[in-house]
Amino acid sequence: MVMVFRKLGLLGVTLGLWLDPLGAQDHSNVIRNPFPTADDVAAGARSFRSQCAACHGLDASGASGPSLTTGNFRHGNSDEALYGIITKGVPGTPMVGFKLDGREVWQLISFLRSANVSKGAGQAKGNPGNGAQLFQANGCAQCHTAGKPGGFAGPDLSDIGSRRSLAQLETALLDPSAEVDPDYWSLRGRTKTGQAIEGLRMNEDTDSFQILESSGHLRSVWKTDLANYEIVRTSPMPSFKSKLKQSEVEDLVAYLASLRVESGNEVPR
Amino acid sequence: MKNSDNRLLARAAPNRPHVLAMTCRAATVRERLLSVISEQVHKLSIAMAICAAGFSLSAQGLPITSDRLLHADREPGNWLMYSNTYNSWRYSRLAQVDTSNVGRLKLKWLFQMRTQEKVETTPLVVDGIMYVTRPDNDIIALDAETGRTLWTYEYRNPRRLYPCCGRVNRGVAILGNRLFMNTLDMHVVAVDARSGREVWRTKMFDYTAAGGYAATGAPLVVKDKVIVGMAGAEHGVRGFLDAYDAATGKLAWRFNTIPKQGDPNYSWSGDSGERGGASTWNTGSYDPELNTLYWGTGNPWPDTNGDVRLGDDLYSCSVIALDPDTGKLKWHYQFTPHDVHDWDSTQVPVLVDAQFRGRPRKLLVWPNRNGFFYVLDRQSGEFLTAKAFVRQTWAKGFDDRGRPELIPGNEPTTEGNIDVWPGVDGGANWMAHSYSPLTGWLYTFAREERRVYSKTEYHPPTTEETVAGFRARPVFAPEESFGKVIALEPGTGEIKWEHRVLTPPWSGVMATAGNLVFGGTLEGNVFALDARSGKQLWRFLGNGPVFAGPISFLSNGKQYVSLAVGDVLMTFSLNAE
Repeated sequence: MVMVFRKLGLLGVTLGLWLDPLGAQDHSNVIRNPFPTADDVAAGARSFRSQCAACHGLDASGASGPSLTTGNFRHGNSDEALYGIITKGVPGTPMVGFKLDGREVWQLISFLRSANVSKGAGQAKGNPGNGAQLFQANGCAQCHTAGKPGGFAGPDLSDIGSRRSLAQLETALLDPSAEVDPDYWSLRGRTKTGQAIEGLRMNEDTDSFQILESSGHLRSVWKTDLANYEIVRTSPMPSFKSKLKQSEVEDLVAYLASLRVESGNEVPR
Repeated sequence: MKNSDNRLLARAAPNRPHVLAMTCRAATVRERLLSVISEQVHKLSIAMAICAAGFSLSAQGLPITSDRLLHADREPGNWLMYSNTYNSWRYSRLAQVDTSNVGRLKLKWLFQMRTQEKVETTPLVVDGIMYVTRPDNDIIALDAETGRTLWTYEYRNPRRLYPCCGRVNRGVAILGNRLFMNTLDMHVVAVDARSGREVWRTKMFDYTAAGGYAATGAPLVVKDKVIVGMAGAEHGVRGFLDAYDAATGKLAWRFNTIPKQGDPNYSWSGDSGERGGASTWNTGSYDPELNTLYWGTGNPWPDTNGDVRLGDDLYSCSVIALDPDTGKLKWHYQFTPHDVHDWDSTQVPVLVDAQFRGRPRKLLVWPNRNGFFYVLDRQSGEFLTAKAFVRQTWAKGFDDRGRPELIPGNEPTTEGNIDVWPGVDGGANWMAHSYSPLTGWLYTFAREERRVYSKTEYHPPTTEETVAGFRARPVFAPEESFGKVIALEPGTGEIKWEHRVLTPPWSGVMATAGNLVFGGTLEGNVFALDARSGKQLWRFLGNGPVFAGPISFLSNGKQYVSLAVGDVLMTFSLNAE
């Protein structure tokens, strides 16, 4: 674990401050995780699935509880802080204290450190500067926001490097429909009066849909007014498999991996 | 109340709006109301007296005698107990709102609770006055015509409490001039229904014992006793059901839902029953003719680790049939022996007299959290039949005595077993079912979903660090998780129709003599379905999650429907044509 954090420290002073539990401490009495081995990570993964997955998702990427893969924890980033959160809970949230033995808690922390996707960013092979140019040249901003205002048809990528691994980012470029967040499913259908309906599914209940049309119009549609409809779970984004060279894909991945929250700006989910 | 009587009355009151609209008030009540309440109610009661014109089916106003509770079905304008009547049909005999005009149902008033908690309450209504609980444990008397507050009783709970699943309350019971409520810190209080002042307060149990006790259900008044359940089976408590003298608040009897060690029905390894759960956190039912109280019991503890409590773990996940005078057990039936899935059997028992295999029988019908619909003989406790009403993976059938034959591979594992149906919140849960004597069907809001079942290590219970549950949300594809209102034939469990909703629900349902079934979704839809076909006839977007059950009552001679949506109690009535 220590090696991992030292490597991370090289990424940048600011980044290192909040990723590195040693750096994050402002006092000398630092508690070190005594169970950092690969076996401990595996044991922690089992505990996670048993104790935590119900709220934080099977892969820790979040469900009703927040994602724990960003490397940035809202209530404290040090091992010591994580130990306290796991055993004492977070008042005012559904996160309760878990009654586990100390070893199990440390193993969970080791697993969480291993699940941090953003720490892989430093291993990106491509050139992020080239990637940024490719992002503009290929019109990505028509549908995505990345730091500065862009399109809204696709996910906001401003902190995507904190939430997706290098492999996930590459897959998203080459096979965009491989994994589509339900927040980005769309509605396609026809009203009983023959009007075509299509838009991003912003909300749904038993009786109605709320959609964002590509024109930017927000509207609500009763299901009973639709002659037919389907929820499209594929991505409208084109694959860049044949459009970009492998080196360009790597540059774009490196650029996306560099898009991360700054210290102090918690990822809201 | 005899169920046969009830059915006759129901048949005698067909879909003619006027008959029941005339269920109005006697002059004596008018005077009482006048003396106590505001001018608004004054006007209302005059209108009621005008429309009454000799059509009074029963005594009106306070006090609520035990005889009136026995015949609560004869006061369709009121809602006198949690499930409306002792047989727990939750059926409104009001028929002003029916399949032909429900489209004109509009919002009449709102009562804003301003709470972050789930609102699970069922209000009571007595002659134009509504009594509703608000989390944690407040009681509010409202003018049922306007939603304006008449008085508020605030119970002060300690800051730290130990409910497993929210600081919730499901309502009050009434007898005489008194309302009865159990509290999250394990007290029972009697409050004067006229003034909102506390009359007595009795401590049930130390709420900090074991991993923490709580009481969340609505009490049930039977004769002169207030029957009160408790919660805490996630915290290693030992379950019981209590009866308190309504006049004095003194404990009349306590039935321990886990027998003493040495009792032939003690079926727990070692002393594990001492902290084995088997709580009683929802409301039961009562058959006056058989003088029998029926109550469901919760899961054994630890919820998903059965290794430390080998055996059937009686009387967890059971129905217990008790003598309400003494608390003595008449019979029991265990739906889920040695449960490891948190499948509480705290559903409301529904008492129906119906044909079973060609012969009329006194039935106890029960859509259970474990996914099966059960039919029992409520006199003998005999198991008659069971049929799955949602997808289930754990039982291949039942033997003659109603013991399930298990399918292997459904046990929780340390890695998390994701192949078990139904999930931890069950095919049914605590949400109210409803039985309509018009269609002869039972309506229930079922949940279709699976969850992660993890076996956790055993730790002794303590409130110092109340052990986290494994409360789970669906992490599976949306099409695997949904809700459905279903109409069941009580003798067979055959599903007559289903109405699907997007999300597994937490709302109760209510059938009415207008041949409607009301309910709400977790997404905030309020609906009325045709009780015969399941077709949706009316919808309203309340835009908050529904965790309560609907009721119906008369105000000013007009039928109203109330349901808590989010933290707002919404009341609907028909618009003029």
